[in-house]
Amino acid sequence: MKEQLYKKELRNTVLFVLILLPLGHFAQFFKLFPSLQGGSMWGFPVHYIVPILVGWFGLLIIAIIMAVVLNKFDDEMDEYTSSLEDKNSGDTV
Amino acid sequence: MEATEFVLPSMWMGIVVVVILFAIFYYVGWWAAKKTTSEEDLYAAGFSIGPVANGLAMGATWASLATFMGVIALIYKLQAPFVYLWIQWALSIPLLTLLYGTCLRRMKAFTPASFIKVRYGNEAAIVIIVWMCLSMIMYALGQMIGLGMAFEVLFGLPYKYALVIVGIATIGFITMGGMYGASYNAAFQMVVMIIAMVVPMSAIMKAMGSSGWWFPPLAYGDMVPGMLKQIPEFFDMKYDYRWYFALIPAFTMGPIALPHLAMRVFTSSSIKSARWSVVWFILFLGLLFSGAYTAGFAGNYFTAVTGHEIAKPDQTILILNVFYNPAIVAAFVVGGAVAAGMSTINGNLMAIAGLIGGDLLGILAPKMPGAKKMRWGYLALGIAGIITILLAFSPPPFLVTSILWAFGLLATAVSPSILMGVWWKQANKIAMIISSAVCGIVYIIISPHVMGDIVVGKGLVAALGMSGAMVTVPLSFASFIILSFVFNKMQLATPSLEDKKMIDRIHGWGTDYDEARYNGVAMPIVLVLLSVIVFIWGMQPW
Repeated sequence: MKEQLYKKELRNTVLFVLILLPLGHFAQFFKLFPSLQGGSMWGFPVHYIVPILVGWFGLLIIAIIMAVVLNKFDDEMDEYTSSLEDKNSGDTV
Repeated sequence: MEATEFVLPSMWMGIVVVVILFAIFYYVGWWAAKKTTSEEDLYAAGFSIGPVANGLAMGATWASLATFMGVIALIYKLQAPFVYLWIQWALSIPLLTLLYGTCLRRMKAFTPASFIKVRYGNEAAIVIIVWMCLSMIMYALGQMIGLGMAFEVLFGLPYKYALVIVGIATIGFITMGGMYGASYNAAFQMVVMIIAMVVPMSAIMKAMGSSGWWFPPLAYGDMVPGMLKQIPEFFDMKYDYRWYFALIPAFTMGPIALPHLAMRVFTSSSIKSARWSVVWFILFLGLLFSGAYTAGFAGNYFTAVTGHEIAKPDQTILILNVFYNPAIVAAFVVGGAVAAGMSTINGNLMAIAGLIGGDLLGILAPKMPGAKKMRWGYLALGIAGIITILLAFSPPPFLVTSILWAFGLLATAVSPSILMGVWWKQANKIAMIISSAVCGIVYIIISPHVMGDIVVGKGLVAALGMSGAMVTVPLSFASFIILSFVFNKMQLATPSLEDKKMIDRIHGWGTDYDEARYNGVAMPIVLVLLSVIVFIWGMQPW
């Protein structure tokens, strides 16, 4: 159980960092792949408006997912540490 | 081309708006003062702020006067690439919360330096407190200059008198209200900022002939052809790829260590509430930032189609409002700019008070009673404010420069210490002190602001600290990790069992200690390799 929780914590953290960073730096993809720069959206060049949208609504969606996933993870941690405390108090009785 | 400067048509309207705002700030400060009875209240608002109010306060603390004036000036001068620079600021609090904010909230830290003190000891904490105070004063300086400029144009006073008046008035309500006052004032200020940025822009866009006036942050696409006709290069992705990559070490890694942002996470009523605060923060900040991009775009459009050159780009949004909107609206926008500067100074000065009154006094006089420490905290708050006013007498040419440069310093000297301290049990105290002090000094030396002939990079990338941070941030991570391995091998200041247990505790494991957790070598080695690659890349001529 505790090994799984530890791996889950690391996995969640690394995964969210790897998702958050590109969302905030989305313009880099248009610089790396200039062929993506051709189109337009809502009247703007895509390489201008897409990084703005991703850096706002993309981040917002990930932040919601992050809150749900990590708060659920906290509950699992609390459950584990409470069960441990119960066990320890049982041992001492 | 005719040069246009901002002059408010009716000075009295501006005075009325600002007086009303200050009356509200002082009322909140007075109300908060009654609630402040302990250090927890003074520095962390009793760990009681809910997610919506905290999300608003996070946005206000982060979005400074630079959002209202500096960034619009830089978009006006440098166009689309500065929009990309600004977008990534929204990563700051999500990353901070994810990587260490909730861990430090769990230990009920007042500032990140509280953690450094417990994790690495007093000497290390003093090094970090010095860096953080330096960066906070630089940051508050940018705000104070902007506020002085706003009052200068508002009241027609000489800059120095305007600075002293607004400075003292600001320090007064912040000192009165502590973190309770700072939090609720900041939440209110964010509402004022969003309205002042977005709503008047709608009328400006309508006057400019845009059909997208119903939602200024995203609906100005029909103005693009007109803009391209006048300024064909506006949307060009100027600069090479390294410029875009350098945003990560300089401007994403730095704000992670900003104490006033971390303190907003710590004031949350719970860890779960802190994560929901982040969601609200992104929503509100996105609205405000997108409004700022619109203002930067409209400033360029205004110059292109009317032939009026904006003499002081920092005043772009004010000039647009005077030109297109009634005087009362322009006065309200000045109020928005004032709120933007104040909300950030709130945070900056609270951080300095927490660092000096909470952390440093805890080291120098650990047995001092709480009430006396609180008085010292208030004194630190007031003195930091006065120092900021004195420094603001001689402002740099671009408001935003001094702030952005300080981020690179934090990314170099502080971020590695916090992140490695939270995630790696082998992080060594002496390694931390050496890497933080040496790399921080190297960052200062290789910037163009201190020794002009020893500079990495040139022009704006050097002035903003981008080229410097691309060298010193990886150097700091790599030297910290390698020296930790070396010193631990030599058994020099090896992390104690208590240090390691504390790491497990702040991750939520309670009393369940496991030596193997957060103790691997793979992650540090990968970080060293990545750091070496970035360092070599950063050393190539810019």
